[in-house]
Amino acid sequence: MISRLRLRPIVWAPILVVSLVLVGILSLGVGAVWLAPSEVTQALLAPSSPETRPTAVTIVWDLRLARVLLAALVGAGLAGAGAAFQGMFRTPLADPFVIGASGGASLGATLAIIGRIGGVGVPFAAFAGAMLAVLLVYGITIASGASSATALLLAGAALSTVLSAIVSLLMLMSDRDMHEIFSWLLGGLSGRSWPQLLMSGPPLILGLIGLWFFARPLDALTGGEESARSLGLPLNTARAAVVAAASLTTAAAVAAGGLIGFIGLAAPHIARLFCGSSHARLLPASALVGALLLVLADSVARTALAPIELPVGVLTALLGGPFFLWMLGWGGQR
Amino acid sequence: MSDVLAAEGLRCALAGRPVLDGVALHVRPGEVLALIGPNGAGKTTLLRALSRLLRPLAGTVTLEGEDVWHIRPRPLARRLALAPQGAEMWPLTVEQFVGLGRAPHRGWLLPLNDEDHQAVQAALERTGLIPLRERQVTELSGGEQRRVILARALAQQPRILLLDEPTAALDLKYQAAILGLARRLAHDDGLSVVITLHDLNQAAGVADRMALLAHGRVLALGTPNEVLTAELISTTYEVPVVVCRHPLDGSPLVSLVGEHPHMH
Repeated sequence: MISRLRLRPIVWAPILVVSLVLVGILSLGVGAVWLAPSEVTQALLAPSSPETRPTAVTIVWDLRLARVLLAALVGAGLAGAGAAFQGMFRTPLADPFVIGASGGASLGATLAIIGRIGGVGVPFAAFAGAMLAVLLVYGITIASGASSATALLLAGAALSTVLSAIVSLLMLMSDRDMHEIFSWLLGGLSGRSWPQLLMSGPPLILGLIGLWFFARPLDALTGGEESARSLGLPLNTARAAVVAAASLTTAAAVAAGGLIGFIGLAAPHIARLFCGSSHARLLPASALVGALLLVLADSVARTALAPIELPVGVLTALLGGPFFLWMLGWGGQR
Repeated sequence: MSDVLAAEGLRCALAGRPVLDGVALHVRPGEVLALIGPNGAGKTTLLRALSRLLRPLAGTVTLEGEDVWHIRPRPLARRLALAPQGAEMWPLTVEQFVGLGRAPHRGWLLPLNDEDHQAVQAALERTGLIPLRERQVTELSGGEQRRVILARALAQQPRILLLDEPTAALDLKYQAAILGLARRLAHDDGLSVVITLHDLNQAAGVADRMALLAHGRVLALGTPNEVLTAELISTTYEVPVVVCRHPLDGSPLVSLVGEHPHMH
């Protein structure tokens, strides 16, 4: 990656935070009813003022704020987990789903949809599925006696394939739920509001903070196992801690938004362009970039083909893929 | 004199192939001990076993009388540091990379404090890296990267420093600087420095004692004068050599003679 653009945190952190707030305000204004940024700000800051339109307050607070906050958190969580896995597995190809979280979440959600468990049943099943799949992958790796990160990656890939196959089979066998399962798999924030935010927000934030605490172990793990051990890093403990925090974040993000691809892969690469690879900086920078990207993408998803809502996962892949390719070429990536 | 680091009856294998076969080695405080020997003699494996990265099949490694396998990784990394030869570099800045050497002291979760920054600063100064501190280690030359790895080991502030081929890929100036640093660390600061070198004359110049390894065994252990004899070196390396005296300090100088062996 190019590194000549490297900026100090004092520069990029305020820029990203301010951009996120501005994009968030714009995002609160778009949809079936368009609100000017000034009206959004007024509804946010002075909801009970007599000069504020009550409809604006309802739209902002009841309909859109939770969704925008959730988009920001999910984007941040996917990006943070992606950055952590890219560091720990020492591959730029890693994303949050690399050790089986996506397969587990898909199976959990599919079973909940088929079993007609409504309400928060689907996100909860997705969360549980993701955590169980990661635990299984980790357990298999430990039990097999293979202690390398590569073994973990391979086990994750193998289990994901199996779980995806089961999901496909279940979809084929249940015609009437196929559409709902499919749209969940595509990932999206349609219809998400305060209950989903309250459910996914805490584990997401907890996982992200955890990852930030493990920034220095991640730096050491990036240099390879032998190097990390010679610095006295307890390898298995460190790996387990990173996997636990990253998976908590991923599972919570998937529960809220389904399988939203690309953000967790690309946001860390974008962040590395300006903040370098030290995880103490990379993790918060990736989280902010991921939040920004997903809030933007979700705004577009709501408006591009209105009144139809696009699944945001489709949009991130459609717009993000080419952008990512362009970035790799521009950056002179090895 | 008590030994700081001692190996007894050390047997190690890599992927089932025996590499060390009954190595005994004692490192004294304040000395530079050079490990020499042909390629594949087991020098790097010995350093890995001494630094607890490789579990031996048999034998023990003791650090001030304690079995290294009974010492927790982090306390061990405060007492003993390894500057590996094939260390992998990744895009941290030089300062961040060297700062990782403070983790054994500060812990893995707390931010570095003033004392750590001073130790990093000192390590950067001793290795001539101050002008490069903000650069990404992946952008540096091979020789500069060798110094970064050495600086990280110095930042650990160990009592024992294991250096694997620290002069490989360095130009003459930095070869001299690194060897001089190794001697000062041992003689002025009282560290024990174990250093593997391919250049026998460099080894003779820097070492208080040297150990000649071949086929996983220590063939000779003693002062450079005792180890660098024409007979011992010729048979071990399978090339004819002569040993003369350095004109200034009288240390042994090894030179190839006659027909060099061909590669078949």
